[in-house]
Amino acid sequence: MSFDVDEDILQDFLVEAGEILEQLQEQLVELENNPEDKDLLNAIFRGYHTVKGGAGFLSLTELVEICHGAENVFDVMRNGQRSLTPELMDTILQATDVVVDMFEKVKMREPLEAADATLVETLHKLSNPETPGENIFGDTQEEAPVAEPEPVVEEETFELEEDTAATEDPAELIEDITEDEFEALLDELHGTGGAPGASATKAPAPAPTPTPAPTASSGGEEDITDDEFEALLDELHGKGQFGGEAAAPATPPPASPAPAAESAGDEEISDDEFEALLDQLHGQGKGPGVGAPKEDKPAEKPRVKVENTKPEPAKAEATAAKPAAKAPAPAKAESKPATPAKAAEPAAKKEEKKAAPTAPQPETTVRVDTRRLDQIMNMVGELVLVRNRLISLGISINDESMSKAIANLDVVTGDLQGAVMQTRMQPIKKVFGRFPRVVRDLARSLKKEITLELEGEETDLDKNLVEALADPLVHLVRNSVDHGIEMPDDRQAAGKPRMGKVKLSASQEGDHILLVIEDDGKGMDPDKLKDIAISRGVLDADAAARMSDVEAFNLIFAPGFSTKTEISDISGRGVGMDVVKTKINQLNGTVNIDSQLGRGTRLEIKVPLTLAILPTLMIVLGKQTFALPLGAVSEIINMDIKKTNTVDGQLTMIVRSKAIPLFFLGEWLIRGPKNIERDKGHVVVVQMGTKQVGFVVDALIGQEEVVIKPLDALLQGTPGMAGATITSDGGIALILDIPSLLKRYARKAIK
Amino acid sequence: MSDDRNNNAGNVDDQVLQWVTYRLGDETYGINVMQVQEVLRYSEIAPVPGAPDYVLGIINLRGNVVTVIDTRARFGLPPEEVTDNTRVVIIESDEQVVGILVDSVAEVVYLKSSEIDSAPNVGTEESAKFIQGVSNRDGELLILVDLNKLLSDEEWDELSSL
Repeated sequence: MSFDVDEDILQDFLVEAGEILEQLQEQLVELENNPEDKDLLNAIFRGYHTVKGGAGFLSLTELVEICHGAENVFDVMRNGQRSLTPELMDTILQATDVVVDMFEKVKMREPLEAADATLVETLHKLSNPETPGENIFGDTQEEAPVAEPEPVVEEETFELEEDTAATEDPAELIEDITEDEFEALLDELHGTGGAPGASATKAPAPAPTPTPAPTASSGGEEDITDDEFEALLDELHGKGQFGGEAAAPATPPPASPAPAAESAGDEEISDDEFEALLDQLHGQGKGPGVGAPKEDKPAEKPRVKVENTKPEPAKAEATAAKPAAKAPAPAKAESKPATPAKAAEPAAKKEEKKAAPTAPQPETTVRVDTRRLDQIMNMVGELVLVRNRLISLGISINDESMSKAIANLDVVTGDLQGAVMQTRMQPIKKVFGRFPRVVRDLARSLKKEITLELEGEETDLDKNLVEALADPLVHLVRNSVDHGIEMPDDRQAAGKPRMGKVKLSASQEGDHILLVIEDDGKGMDPDKLKDIAISRGVLDADAAARMSDVEAFNLIFAPGFSTKTEISDISGRGVGMDVVKTKINQLNGTVNIDSQLGRGTRLEIKVPLTLAILPTLMIVLGKQTFALPLGAVSEIINMDIKKTNTVDGQLTMIVRSKAIPLFFLGEWLIRGPKNIERDKGHVVVVQMGTKQVGFVVDALIGQEEVVIKPLDALLQGTPGMAGATITSDGGIALILDIPSLLKRYARKAIK
Repeated sequence: MSDDRNNNAGNVDDQVLQWVTYRLGDETYGINVMQVQEVLRYSEIAPVPGAPDYVLGIINLRGNVVTVIDTRARFGLPPEEVTDNTRVVIIESDEQVVGILVDSVAEVVYLKSSEIDSAPNVGTEESAKFIQGVSNRDGELLILVDLNKLLSDEEWDELSSL
């Protein structure tokens, strides 16, 4: 295997195949529920096929082999020659895992290992339909789905189709003609220039008519192996996208500029259509002239077909269920034969590649490096800061025309900010998409019966967030399946349906995204949780007795806490929830948990829409400005020293009938002499999980949305600091990271 | 042998480097001009609580947050009051942009490589680590600072030991 191929091509492959593989996981699980869904089968088939094509182009033979196997299995399935069994599904999923593994390796530029031989063998066995021969004819004539004895050999496939179409015809003749024509077509597409005069037999090739000496060429033509053929198609497509455009024309992947080749590769194509496409490819200019003589001799079988095609190209399209998507394609393809002068094959290839995204795709999209988006976001951030400064200047200047201009700027920057944020948004489907598979596998291995409901998949959130949320969510869902849902028998005994339900939903709530993971399992027992916490030394008995249920539920987020007495490979090590919580806190998010014993558990995760802009509360300590993440601030009260008490050396204050510890932030964060007036200032009450802490600050400035600027390498990791930002007056403010701040300083204070 | 040396000297002579000189206490230091981005007047530096001692804080450089380090502390010199001449030199090294606070910035000098001697034992042990070489110019000693060293290894050690 070599990676010396063009890096760009490899990157393209990685991006595209990555997306396809993600989709595949989802589609496969969906397929298990709807085994008869033809569209789905086709989609999966195409998915494997596309990956295979790309891999073939990059000569990743190991990957090609396994994709090929899987593809074949789906090919027989979509032709109705094999039905989906759980065993088959397992094999397919196994194969998919192998593909994903290999894909990861390609990503890491590691050499591939050949897939398990037995797996490949099984796939091959599964891809053999039971009844070859007869079936083919029947199927072809009825409908598009062509059953072919060997789905791999696409070339043969349409030979057969040709056969079936012109049943009485001497099969060989047509076959040869087809191949011949096809060769010519390929040649033209490749722009080798040799097409017209490649050989005597091919001389009339530009015309769609069957050549006068097909038999002569047949020997040579038939030598082409299906592999070769595939390779050619792949090359033509650049990315090997000759899935079934005919079957599902609306799908975006067929971005192929060479529809003829594509449809040619498609087994389901009717010969009529094929001919029509050939015509188009061969140049419509030549079409009429050639067509005329053909019609003169309708007796000749091969021409009959052509004749058929001519008068009803529309029908051909209709029968194959090929809509408008094809329409722009011929034009493209046409242009290619017109420039056979571009003899060099690679040149032609490249051209096609470039054309690819523009051809039949109705949508116009551009792939942009996320780093560029980040840059733009950064610049917009600057703009927002400048605007903020102008606003504060405008207030002091009090000039009407100026304030008008500033108001305008305000609106425009706001819109721009929104628009740029929007470009970074991705539907949460990207994360949700992997859950059907996760839940299915888990349920199978745990022998539970579980349905997964997904809701609000289209909810958009920041790309970084989507990525950052993936792991915690997987963890929580696994937990729901493993700990939450009971065994089917237990459920029945408890009077619940055998089938457990896990619901995953996402929705937008103002500037937050709310993610809910709900199960109808056994729920959590607060007393049991407390007992465990006590036995693990997380909690003492008195504290446990005072604890509310919600606080008890939150114990599961404590480090080293696990309710499972046995450690499985799924969960039970007691590290997970702790990590989940930390991760979500890092995203300025919160986790809430609620549970009813015997009824189920509900976990709510709230995260901000974006990580780039942070709403903060600006505070003043001494002469310096600091920013507290607003999400954590629950209330602000006036400092009143008379209302404070010292408990165990720690200053506390009663807020809403709860004693919360008070800390003077100035003592922690201001260098030099500390002459803090203890009876002045404000108390900012911040919420950390279920705990509340009061920070005493000298003054409050107000709420401000800031762009987080990371501290540079020298200062990164400074405890308590999340970053810095430029304030509206051009000054600089440090953004505090409350959990790490407390970790760093609060202990010291207690000492 | 002697030819070789001459040749070498000839080649090295061709390399003329420019150095930005600044004063710190009684000494003149030089930094390679290619590493200097700009020189700023002193502006308010926001201290960062919990940062190492020689980090004075951060400043707003046209929307970017830049860390300013105190070369005095770094070189083991006593702290000095901020004056009108105090400057922040913004330097770039290893893709890190950092500001260094200096007493004043003097000029840009051209030095041939042959004019640069290896560092004698100047300054304290610690500061010697950051010295690339010295040059005697008009009877005055110019100390050439190796910024990469100034901003690397030791910082990391120190940061990780915090």
